[in-house]
Amino acid sequence: MADVSIREAIHDELAHPVADTNTGISNTKLAMWLFLASECLLFGGLITTYLLYKTPLTAEQGPAPKQVYDIPFTSVSSFVLLMSSLTMVLAVAAIERGDHHRVRTWLAATALLGATFVAGQVYEFTVFKGEGMGYTTSRSSSAFYTLTGFHGVHVTVGIIMLVSVLLLSLRGKIPVSRAETVETVGLYWHFVDVVWIVIFAVVYLIP
Amino acid sequence: MALIEPGPLALNSGGQSDDFKPLGVLSRPVAPKASWRRWLFTVDHKKIGIMYGTAAMFFFVIGGSEALLIRAQLWAPRGTLLSAELYNQMFTMHGTTMVFLVVMPIGAAFANFLMPLQIGARDVAFPRINAFSFWCFLGGGLFLQSSWLFGGGADGGWFMYAPNSGVLFSPGHGIDFWNLGLIIAGIASLTGAINLIVTVLNLRCPGMSLMRMPIFTWMTLVTQFLLLFAIPVLTAAQFLLMFDRLFRANFFNVANGGNPLLWEHLFWVFGHPEVYLMILPAFGLVSEMLPVFSRKPIFGYPFIVFSGVAIGFMGWGVWAHHMFVSGIGPISVTTFSLTTMFIAVPTGVKILNWTATMWGGKLKFTTPMLFSIGLVTMFTIGGLSGVTHSVAPADTQQTDTYYIVAHFHYVLFGGAFLGFMGGLYFYWPKLFGHMLNESLGKAHFWLMLLGFNLTFGPMHILGLQGMSRRIYTYDAGYGFEIWNKVATIGAFLLASSVALFLFNVFYSRVKAKHLPNPGPDPWDARTIEWMIPSPVPEYNFEPVPTVTRVDDFWYRKYAETPDHRLVRVHATDEVAQPGGATNVHLPSPSYWPIVAAFSLPFIAYGLIYSLWLCLVGGIALVTALYGWALEPPDHPGGDHGDHHGPDDESSEGHAVPVEAPVGIDEKEVETVG
Amino acid sequence: METQSVEPDRSKTIPTGFLDGARRNYPREVEYVLVALFLAVLTGIEIATYAAPGFPVWSWGDKAGLITVLLVLMAVKFWTVAYFFMHLRFDKPLLTRVFYTGVVLAGLVYVAIMSMFLLWFPGRH
Repeated sequence: MADVSIREAIHDELAHPVADTNTGISNTKLAMWLFLASECLLFGGLITTYLLYKTPLTAEQGPAPKQVYDIPFTSVSSFVLLMSSLTMVLAVAAIERGDHHRVRTWLAATALLGATFVAGQVYEFTVFKGEGMGYTTSRSSSAFYTLTGFHGVHVTVGIIMLVSVLLLSLRGKIPVSRAETVETVGLYWHFVDVVWIVIFAVVYLIP
Repeated sequence: MALIEPGPLALNSGGQSDDFKPLGVLSRPVAPKASWRRWLFTVDHKKIGIMYGTAAMFFFVIGGSEALLIRAQLWAPRGTLLSAELYNQMFTMHGTTMVFLVVMPIGAAFANFLMPLQIGARDVAFPRINAFSFWCFLGGGLFLQSSWLFGGGADGGWFMYAPNSGVLFSPGHGIDFWNLGLIIAGIASLTGAINLIVTVLNLRCPGMSLMRMPIFTWMTLVTQFLLLFAIPVLTAAQFLLMFDRLFRANFFNVANGGNPLLWEHLFWVFGHPEVYLMILPAFGLVSEMLPVFSRKPIFGYPFIVFSGVAIGFMGWGVWAHHMFVSGIGPISVTTFSLTTMFIAVPTGVKILNWTATMWGGKLKFTTPMLFSIGLVTMFTIGGLSGVTHSVAPADTQQTDTYYIVAHFHYVLFGGAFLGFMGGLYFYWPKLFGHMLNESLGKAHFWLMLLGFNLTFGPMHILGLQGMSRRIYTYDAGYGFEIWNKVATIGAFLLASSVALFLFNVFYSRVKAKHLPNPGPDPWDARTIEWMIPSPVPEYNFEPVPTVTRVDDFWYRKYAETPDHRLVRVHATDEVAQPGGATNVHLPSPSYWPIVAAFSLPFIAYGLIYSLWLCLVGGIALVTALYGWALEPPDHPGGDHGDHHGPDDESSEGHAVPVEAPVGIDEKEVETVG
Repeated sequence: METQSVEPDRSKTIPTGFLDGARRNYPREVEYVLVALFLAVLTGIEIATYAAPGFPVWSWGDKAGLITVLLVLMAVKFWTVAYFFMHLRFDKPLLTRVFYTGVVLAGLVYVAIMSMFLLWFPGRH
């Protein structure tokens, strides 16, 4: 219908104001992508360290991470994080349409799913510790906890950002013209998910 | 020192508008003219650039003093000035200070001050992040230097090889200071890199396509991309080291299977791009100065640009040439030997282009020109010794000797530092509104060149004679005495040339009171930063120029006749901007960047001494970040009611227009869906 | 719903011809859900490699089959999230190039390091 497309065009105009920049991309969005590109190098280094130190030097140094993994549990955690990406992108879609009620719902859902993931990680680590794999036990335990710990801290920071944006939205400070704020947080959140996709495959599943 | 035009405050001061309710606790700072608070809370890229440069010179004096102590210790065999332990600290801190706290920040100083001017922008993309980067660097640098006061400097070499860097071999806190200080400085570099890349890509003035940008801007862009990708690798390595030292992790604990080569790889993957990002800004500056003083355009603009980009790319493939004797095996050694040889090519292209720029030009041997020629010649020498390192069998002899020390000082001091000195002389009028004295400048150059060559030239010989690096003394009878003495004399000559420079700075400032303003374009230069007054007004350009070609400003002044002679078509006054504009909308100053930045050393002290400090620092950091995110975009009266973020400034300095289309208001929009 | 019959006043914005970084319309919600379902299926397959390691698709070549399949699945999931959820497919190519530079650089450099550690040869590092 003609009026729907005009309405959408107008909403698109509000949600995506024409960026007054040479590239046509807003400063914040470009900055976030540059940051995410640099994070690839950071996580790559930690993943490499893990792969190098996958097994402890000797058996006396405690179990290797592979021996204590609970893949079914971690699979559920991975699934939770993956779904949080969905809720995140739905939040972004909602703010672009100007649907403030939905955006808050989806932001809250994303934060909750993220928190579930972190809680799962914490639980997992406690179990591992109980089975004899502490942080200082061996080179592989140090590498494992550092890599997944860095990821977990990134998720936590993401949750804090989500909750902050949610609160700002509740105070009416996120109009459609500031949809980019939600989108930028979304980009960070998806990247954190993408890093987990890599970690899940490389650290947990690949023998 | 008046760094801004005296005049009304550029922002409109006024009462609060009734419906403006800032969410932030504090409104933005408003400081009287020329007070220290203008500097503390500034977000102006020019002030930040000047602060970077000043801090770098301060650290240069510290690092230079460490160098003089080293040279004094090595004057004669069995010197007694420094013990072995103290000597280790001295060369570690000298290297770390010079690399991270002098050369990189001077590059950042020029990038910050000059690049927005070269692209016709009002400021960088994220002015508060810019301020945060500077204060973060300063905090990290001071934190690192404070190790001297808290039990001694780091002593593992600037490259901090494991497991020597672990608590077993280095139980004091010096390395912790090194580690945490550089992590903090790394955050500064990374945020600065994101900021400057977005600035170059997004905030160029109308008509300035990428291939019309000045060479310095291009080199800055490549440098910032290198920083963007290299710093995280170092950060990863440093976190591993930190966890080893503070929390007894096992990354470099050989007894538990830690592999020292992991550190070496991670460090040099960072370390090699690092040396390219130290030299590229100086290459950019020289590419600006040589054409001006040859009265010819740069020879082969696209080649200079692409060779710079090529250096950026290829620099990622050569890191293990720092590890030829680490036992990485013949295949790796061969591979990296080849890649290292290849990387000489783009640099050679640059040397060729600079030489060709000067060839046939009307050369004017001003101080900046002397320093530029100095870079070209001294860097060539350093590059040649570098090529000899790329031959792995030869490097096996050269490595860990003074031959290597000679190489990197030729490229870093003879290259980067001479280039920066020239750049300072060249751009001084833009920074401060007066010129540095030419006679003193020439004396400075020649004394510096002499001292530098006397110091580092003989090191080639010493190295090939077998004198080892990083040893606190040597025995008589090896033949090392004479050249060590020459090197030490040279070092003190070098120090006196630096003193001469500092004297020039103060002397020129005093003399400037009696001299007329040099005007916008004292050198008859080529790029658009020379069409605005000296010193640069706070708003940079008004109006923002439109550019139609490379060296646009030059072609406003000159035209070419059909038989290729240059004729002047406009006087400088006719094409330069007069300044004095008022009511230009500029980004507002802010408290939060400096608070956030200084919370980081707090946390760092806490990690070493007491976790309570961490808590305090952490609370300060979180508060600062929220204050930053939520503070009003402008001081009261500046909010246009359109709720754009504080950094949504267009290149024109206006708020990005986000008014709702006519006839629609927010309420109608909200009911959709 | 009231129909709107106003055109946005384009004279107030500087026309670049594109929306903020976008060059295609962003997907609708239902498309996002479909993508998420696709990702869930892929994750299910990943889990199946653990639950049923003897399945012919990935049980070939000692561990090579398993590793190949897992890496392929990982790459497809990575690319899917980046392209659809992070809007790389709908935004200007500069963002894709910037991100890929980071990914490719990290991949090349770290694979090189792992190779130098002979990581691919079990028992040699």
